Amino acid sequence: MKLQRSAKFALAITASAALAVSLLTPAQAATRSTVILHETNAITGLNCSLSATNSTTCSAVSYLQGMGFNYYNNKKELVKNTVFGSYKIVKNTKTDFRTSWTVNPGRVWSDGTPITGEDLLLSHVLQSDAYSIAAGLGDPKSKTAKPAFNGLGYSGVYADNIVGEPTLSADKMTVTLRFKKPIANWDLYGPGPASVHALVLMAEGKKALGTVAENEAARDRFVAAFNAKDSVLLKKIGKVWSEDFTITTVDKTTNPLLLVSNGGFILDSAVAKTSVTLKKNPKYNSGPAMSGSIDTVVFKFIGDGTAAAQALANGELDVYAGQATADGVAALKKISAVNVVGVEQVAYEHWDLHYDTVVDEAPYTGLFSVKDGAKSLALRQAFLLGIPRDEIMEKLIAPINGVTTPLSSTWVSPGSALYSKVIAANGSSFLTRGTQASRNLTALNLVKKYYPNALKSPVKVRVLVPGNNPRRASEFALAKANMAKIGFDLVGDVRTDWPSLLGNSNYDAYFFAWVASSVTQRQSAEVFDTNGGNNILGYSNPAVDGIIATLDTPLSEAILGAKYIAIERLTNADAITTGVFVHPGVVAVNKDLKNVKPGPLSPQMVWNFWEWTY
Amino acid sequence: MARTSKKSTESTEVLSGENAISNREVEGLSQGQIVRRRFFRHRAAVISLVTIISIVIFVFSALDFRLFGVWRIHGWWKWTTEDLPELRVGDCPGGTVGCPTISLRPQFLGGAGIGLGTHPFGQDDIGHDFFALVMKGAQRSLSVMVVIGFLGGTIGTIVGSISGFYRGKIDSILMRLVDFMITVPAVLIGSVIGYHYGNLGAIFLAFYLGLFAWTGLSRLVRGEFLTLREREFVDAARVAGASNRRIIFKHILPNAVGIIIVSVTLLLSGAILLETALSYLGFGVVPPDVSLGLLISQYQDSFTTRPWLFWYPGFFIISIALSINFIGDGLRDAFDPRQRRRISKKERQESATARKLAQADE
Amino acid sequence: MFAFIMRRLGVLGVILMGSSFILYNLAAYSGDPLADLKTSTDPNRDFLMISLSRELQLDVPPPARYFLWLKGVLGLFVGHANFGMTREGATVGADLAQAIPVTLRLVLASTILAIVMGIGIGVVTALRQYSRFDYSMTFVSFLMFSLPIFWVAVLLKQYLAISFNNFLREPNVPLKGLFLLALASGIFWASVIGGTRKTFWTVFGTATLIAGGMVAIMDAMNWFLHPGLGPIIVGGLSVGIAYGVTQLSVGITNKAALRASLTVSAATLLVYYPANWVFDNHQGALGVFAIFSILITVGVFAGISFSKIDRGPIIRTAVLTAFLSSIIIVVDKFMQTWQPYMETDAINYRPVPTIGQRSDLLDTQDFWVSNLDLVMHLFLPTVALTLISFAGYIRYSRGTLLEVLNQDYIRTARAKGLTERTVIMRHAFRNTMIPLTTIMVVDFAGVIGGALITERVFGWSGMGTLFYRGILSFDLNLLMGVFFVTSTLSVLANLVADLLYSALDPRIRVGSGA
Repeated sequence: MKLQRSAKFALAITASAALAVSLLTPAQAATRSTVILHETNAITGLNCSLSATNSTTCSAVSYLQGMGFNYYNNKKELVKNTVFGSYKIVKNTKTDFRTSWTVNPGRVWSDGTPITGEDLLLSHVLQSDAYSIAAGLGDPKSKTAKPAFNGLGYSGVYADNIVGEPTLSADKMTVTLRFKKPIANWDLYGPGPASVHALVLMAEGKKALGTVAENEAARDRFVAAFNAKDSVLLKKIGKVWSEDFTITTVDKTTNPLLLVSNGGFILDSAVAKTSVTLKKNPKYNSGPAMSGSIDTVVFKFIGDGTAAAQALANGELDVYAGQATADGVAALKKISAVNVVGVEQVAYEHWDLHYDTVVDEAPYTGLFSVKDGAKSLALRQAFLLGIPRDEIMEKLIAPINGVTTPLSSTWVSPGSALYSKVIAANGSSFLTRGTQASRNLTALNLVKKYYPNALKSPVKVRVLVPGNNPRRASEFALAKANMAKIGFDLVGDVRTDWPSLLGNSNYDAYFFAWVASSVTQRQSAEVFDTNGGNNILGYSNPAVDGIIATLDTPLSEAILGAKYIAIERLTNADAITTGVFVHPGVVAVNKDLKNVKPGPLSPQMVWNFWEWTY
Repeated sequence: MARTSKKSTESTEVLSGENAISNREVEGLSQGQIVRRRFFRHRAAVISLVTIISIVIFVFSALDFRLFGVWRIHGWWKWTTEDLPELRVGDCPGGTVGCPTISLRPQFLGGAGIGLGTHPFGQDDIGHDFFALVMKGAQRSLSVMVVIGFLGGTIGTIVGSISGFYRGKIDSILMRLVDFMITVPAVLIGSVIGYHYGNLGAIFLAFYLGLFAWTGLSRLVRGEFLTLREREFVDAARVAGASNRRIIFKHILPNAVGIIIVSVTLLLSGAILLETALSYLGFGVVPPDVSLGLLISQYQDSFTTRPWLFWYPGFFIISIALSINFIGDGLRDAFDPRQRRRISKKERQESATARKLAQADE
Repeated sequence: MFAFIMRRLGVLGVILMGSSFILYNLAAYSGDPLADLKTSTDPNRDFLMISLSRELQLDVPPPARYFLWLKGVLGLFVGHANFGMTREGATVGADLAQAIPVTLRLVLASTILAIVMGIGIGVVTALRQYSRFDYSMTFVSFLMFSLPIFWVAVLLKQYLAISFNNFLREPNVPLKGLFLLALASGIFWASVIGGTRKTFWTVFGTATLIAGGMVAIMDAMNWFLHPGLGPIIVGGLSVGIAYGVTQLSVGITNKAALRASLTVSAATLLVYYPANWVFDNHQGALGVFAIFSILITVGVFAGISFSKIDRGPIIRTAVLTAFLSSIIIVVDKFMQTWQPYMETDAINYRPVPTIGQRSDLLDTQDFWVSNLDLVMHLFLPTVALTLISFAGYIRYSRGTLLEVLNQDYIRTARAKGLTERTVIMRHAFRNTMIPLTTIMVVDFAGVIGGALITERVFGWSGMGTLFYRGILSFDLNLLMGVFFVTSTLSVLANLVADLLYSALDPRIRVGSGA
């Protein structure tokens, strides 16, 4: 051994040059099979339905580990996962609306246990307030006591409309849900599979995977408890579900029952707050077949965007995803081994004008108060006309993703077929007609009608400016400069705590972004409904309320479009809001990695992991 | 300086060569004069002093200035930070926008000729003149630095001297106060204030940072005082009937001033960096206000694409911090009562001649 | 003394209690944890708000909530402290336990390096005040001190990681690069050493030639792909260390010490191959420890057998030589690991990472490869932190030493006829260390909570990240947990500094008047 080493050493010294040539030939690994993804925020647990762990990163990680009946693709369409199962409406009357969900036979969990309709029942426990109370698991809305399953699913559309318990078909593969009325987007309110047998085993203190027979027996115990509303076992399961999944370190000592899944990948290891590594699930058959060559996926958590971009340049990442800045995108484009893909986010920047007093706030008597009638309407119109939307697009957004047309609907997002129909008829042309100069002129005339001296002593408008955001600071500066031309003096109040100040009567105008996590028929209804949860303008229009009330039943796209147009015509006539831009995001992908098509809705980047390949 | 071989009654003192020179230098001068002389002999410090004064004048006279919010003094620079001139598009390298118009290459070398142009430092995303922004940022950063340095330095020195000199109960109480201050993170205070009172501006930020920045200095000064108060010259002063105040200010403080100056200059240049760090994290100066720290943290992405947005504010930070440190260095040397400068060969020879002459006289 | 310490500790407890109360309430009023949900359009937003309020006990007013927290923390005294849960459902205790070692790993090396380098350079600049070295070092250190860390990080990553890794793909130093490197080295050494104009140019020429030659040879040998020192260079370095250490500690004229150190060097050379065999075949910290112990034992025995009088310093010299030589052997082993490390799939010839604490994909049982991976991930953050923090130490040690050198006892020592080395190392340097020690202690406590930005830009998640997360998400328990650790450490460090100060400087009386 010793001799060998010294011989090697001598060789290295004497024949280093010759050796060098042979060693120099690049030792590229034959084919890469690993994808390293960048995420800004670390996962905080494996169960994303807890308030403690809910995050887009968690959704992405768990999407790789679990497939259900449908998923969002990169065009914000809900795609049916026909490999896993099928679903349909089985009864549709005014008072009885039923959907059935069938798991295809032969689907298995990663531990080999077949997936059946029984695995869909836990969803009901997690979403129905009534069941939770009836089974003695606690009232989810209680301000003091936590429910046994301390999740985020309660008190939603499902809980409000569900009637009784889901019924299981004779072959145990189909579950039927009954709602008290037809509900819009019913396909979003279906059940999802959960490996209840693993939960039961953990609740019973097991630390290792069971055999298929044991697992099926465990599942039967759950079904029995579910039907009997046996709070003893359910509470134990609830404890496991609520508490045991909040781990961020996964290694060989982790209970393998926690990792049972039906997705394309299984969690292999995780380093707290640093990274998560997933390996291919050999038993995966619950979704589209893996056509690519990826067998390992690593999520790396890097909070700092510049640091992540440099890591990408250094080959430490294969996919970078982040909030975009013009310089950031330009820098990414300079990296030769990388493709830069622009991606739209689901945040819609818009300007809102105060309309009337918001519930629980001091009376609003400012410039735009509807109580001033025609005067305030004219001022609101002038203000909206004065927002330099084209300039904002050109200077702040186009350098990032090239989009130069401002957003003209607050209900439909650009890119869809509906969008062009809606904006053609929703009255937004008032704000897009002509050039900014001509709009300024119109606006100035409107202002001068009530404030003849506006150019000399401009009208003060109090604006809430979200703090700590350079882009919004620029947006405000541009708006302020242009508004000066039409007789408005924008007085900005820069606040980091701006979300809590929305609706405050001390402001006449706000600008920020609404964030949507799903695409539903109701869309922005909460903003414009008189009693809407997001109504921060004090806006109230019985006609609008009337149309919004009809959005709860399933509608065809044509009818839906017509309703949106009707609503927007009304809101635009009242001149209370205008969209500006869709927040741009950026994704940069290693050139060798194919088929990465990031989407705006969760699970964003990873929705088509099965297609990824080198 | 007349350095004739005058017959001196002190010629006996002149005997030890090097001492002779330094003693002769300080003959008949007040403490202030000695310090000033020594300081002006420190070349780097003098250059730095000139630099920093020029920067201050340059920066503060550039933009419009409101005196007590009433009188508006016009700056010499044509843009303000509010102006939104047309963005320079099209003729910039690499398809960027708003590149600097400053040109240092004369026409005969194929350049655009030496000149500033409309926007010497370029423009930001929406067209703000970047030179104006840098000037405003430098004003803010300088003010932040001065406020933090002044507050931190003064409070630290006073608390440290009192507690080191008097010891006992006063010391205990003051040092527990220091312990208390050390435990409270300034970042948190910053975010609380920022949250509740919105954007109060850079000076306010500096003010509360200054109120938290003195603890280290006070401990140093206290330590120094604890050592110095046991020294012979303090006993001597006390025997001579000097008051406590006199002992503190005339006897001990000048001996401790070296360490104070060093820490205050580190504190000053640290203040700029602290402000930068806080701005980077979003707890410091927030837009639309500007500071140098905010500018470079905002444009750190621009490093490879629009480098001017990254380098110009960086250049100002570095020049200011460097100058401050060198001035501190010069001050430290000047204040040290025992410090002697290097004695050049020429002076040594002169001193030798003087000694010979003195001996010949006897 | 004991009573004094106990009393101080008691007071510290009260202070911590008071400041934590204030902090808790400040933090509680600093933001609205529900703010995020206010811009959400989720249909069950109201439920989410109720649920979150319940989790965070928002219905309990903060001053009262503080005492709930305090009750948990005071459990410390009965053996089970409860710092509460984070908003993310983990216990704060677990998060802290995970974060502290990470932070320590991140800052320990750089703090030690900064102290050693800072004090070293500070001492030399003080001894040669106003020399070219003094000026250039002052300039460089001030320059580094003026740079924001995230800025330094961006530059370091660009040049030391990305460009260097690209270079490694085809590691041929271009002629221009070679020339520039040589020139830079020439200028550096000339300004460091140079005295008169003649020596300046001599040093410049020599350094330029040596550096150029070395880089050329390294390039020709493909040293960058498989570096290593080999027994000859290890031996040579060890002899150099022996001379250097001896010169600094007891003076080169002390033949006994020199012989003892040189014996250690010889032993280093002898032990080189066995050591490498041990490293390869008995991997783990134990092997490394064994090599260190063997050499140090040799050092002790050599010291004893060569010295007749004045044993202590000579043994110390030999042991220090042994310690440094062992480090050289380990460094050499790491260099040899370089190539296998680069060949792993996870690294694939891009060995300098810009981010993270370790390579996620590195699948190896090899002690050296996995440790080299850790070292490589520490490389950039350590360089960055050291660069920006050693300026302070240079300034303090330079200032203090200058002051000490003007003291009467130094003059006395010189007058006694002691050599300059003895005066500096024994009299001046030791007195310089007194105030520096106290600064160091406080600094050490400070770094535990202090490397926030460094952690962020290098993608580490230690205490700084916890603190940041605590503030951003209004996670009171987490914030208070971090606060508890950092503030306790900092007040304790101050107490230790006080005690040290009085222990080191007998003129300071501690607690006498308090």
